[in-house]
Amino acid sequence: MNRKVCIVGVGHTNFNSMTPDVSWKEFMYDACKKAYFDAGINPRKDVDSFITCAEDYWEGFGIFDEFVPDQIGATLRPCCTVCGDGIQGMANAYMQIMTGLMDTVAVEAHSKVSDLLTYGDVVLHAMDPLFEKPVSGPVERERYAGSPSYPDNNPKPLVGSTDEKERVHPYFLAGLEMQHYLRSAKVTEEQCASVAVKNKKNAFLNPYAINQADLSSEDVMSSEYLFNPLKRLDISPLVDGAICFVLAEESVAKKLGIEPIYLNGFGYSSETPWLSTRGMDAGYARQAVNMATKMAKLKDPKKALDVVEVDDRFSYKELQHIEALGLAGPGEAAQLLEEGELYKDGSLPTNLSGGSMGVGNCLEATGLQRSLEIITQLRGLAGKRQVTDAETGLAQSWRGIPSGTGAVAIFSRNPEVKT
Amino acid sequence: MTYLEKQSNPLDPVHFRGNLQADYLYTSGAAGDKFFKHIMENDSFLASECEECGTVFCPPRLYCEDCFVEIPDEKWKEVPAKGTVRLFTTAMLNTFGEPLEVPKIIGLIDIEGTDSSMLGILKTKDQKQDLTGITVEAVFRPTQEREGTLKDILYFNESG
Ligand SMILES: [Zn+2]
Repeated sequence: MNRKVCIVGVGHTNFNSMTPDVSWKEFMYDACKKAYFDAGINPRKDVDSFITCAEDYWEGFGIFDEFVPDQIGATLRPCCTVCGDGIQGMANAYMQIMTGLMDTVAVEAHSKVSDLLTYGDVVLHAMDPLFEKPVSGPVERERYAGSPSYPDNNPKPLVGSTDEKERVHPYFLAGLEMQHYLRSAKVTEEQCASVAVKNKKNAFLNPYAINQADLSSEDVMSSEYLFNPLKRLDISPLVDGAICFVLAEESVAKKLGIEPIYLNGFGYSSETPWLSTRGMDAGYARQAVNMATKMAKLKDPKKALDVVEVDDRFSYKELQHIEALGLAGPGEAAQLLEEGELYKDGSLPTNLSGGSMGVGNCLEATGLQRSLEIITQLRGLAGKRQVTDAETGLAQSWRGIPSGTGAVAIFSRNPEVKT
Repeated sequence: MTYLEKQSNPLDPVHFRGNLQADYLYTSGAAGDKFFKHIMENDSFLASECEECGTVFCPPRLYCEDCFVEIPDEKWKEVPAKGTVRLFTTAMLNTFGEPLEVPKIIGLIDIEGTDSSMLGILKTKDQKQDLTGITVEAVFRPTQEREGTLKDILYFNESG
């Protein structure tokens, strides 16, 4: 058995700050339809299994899995949801194919976050309700227990029922972590600001990136402190978008006559949810990259990687993640950026897609958006942002505040990564 | 989008507002129960220490997450409700993304005698720029008003 897994089709919607003209189902349908067209297949007979990446609270209704099959072509077919980032979904697709049970698997992830009116509170809901969330302030509604037969004080409320406008936005955690990063890496706020500047500028060359801007680091520095040292322009904007990949065994790609992009390795890891004992150095990324490089037999990632996409939901995260991935020594990512190494013609082109800063934060679709850029680059279809002769690339994702979960995927044009 | 007939009148799309009736009972658990009952009567915290690696957890836990072993009762101890500010931030926005009427300073506090930290609202004596390393103490509600939740800790105040 020498099965290999490759990407044979990709499709995505437009990315936008809102998409009032379509339902979330139509949105997913759009991405999947394009991916099946790209692969030249009919999902009703050519796809053996379907995976979506979603979380009930993002979507606004329960047991999301059950709402999936119709819009992705999966009715009465093997279908499941991975409650995580798109790269985690892709890892599951890989494993399904490697069992020999499935030859072709579709993976979909999306954000329709513009439908969510209480983003801050949903994120807050991901913090420990007894020990951590209460620091944010009042949580419950006046009559919070569902049944009118519950008196207001029984069961007792966790925090007082004063003005709900006093609840602190959970991004305060990014402010704390950024302060930690600035100190431990001996990096300045200006250096973090340069990440936002670079990625928003990169977005000009990516047709689907809508948050392009020509800013100076002074612009970022003079934007207001929201969670000191985190400023308004250090935070990536939320965006809607859906992405679908078709993964298949190598022989399927050959049959379809498609030049495959191989998924050579992946990894994912979760830190403890307890902020009380959790590290603040993106240990999840360190673990995930170790797993992925081992699997891809990649001895010297820094040398082998032609193009890299890392999570930059907050500007400092790009630098922190580059270091956690071992692509720069501790505190050295900012220097790479200053020396131009993270730009298209540098030694480690990073977030040429524009990243979350330039495209937008698309929740669980973030990992697929990053992977999409790597695949586009390896296919040689990246237009003006194309890295010459890109053969191997890495995509990394993080599930965002307050999660401690991250994933890594390594792709290449070759069945074995060239080192 | 890829439909042949696309909506072009922005007033056309119809929306419905909805919400989720999602209320829960959060059980504090064996370890949490002891912790919360303790702070109803005392101005101190309880912590639990792993027998294998010596990590001291506060809030206390029934098991060590590193060694995956249970922590027996005799390895519980009382620690002062104070610590050192490791990190802090001034939060300007509420969960709706609007400016808070009164910005809140939130700190990550390394609890004395433990290997754990707690999040807390910080109050200082004067308008300091850098709160790193200052010693702070939990200010509790008056004993008769406590109800055994984290809100019994009003905030952390600079000591001395
Ligand atoms: Zn232990």
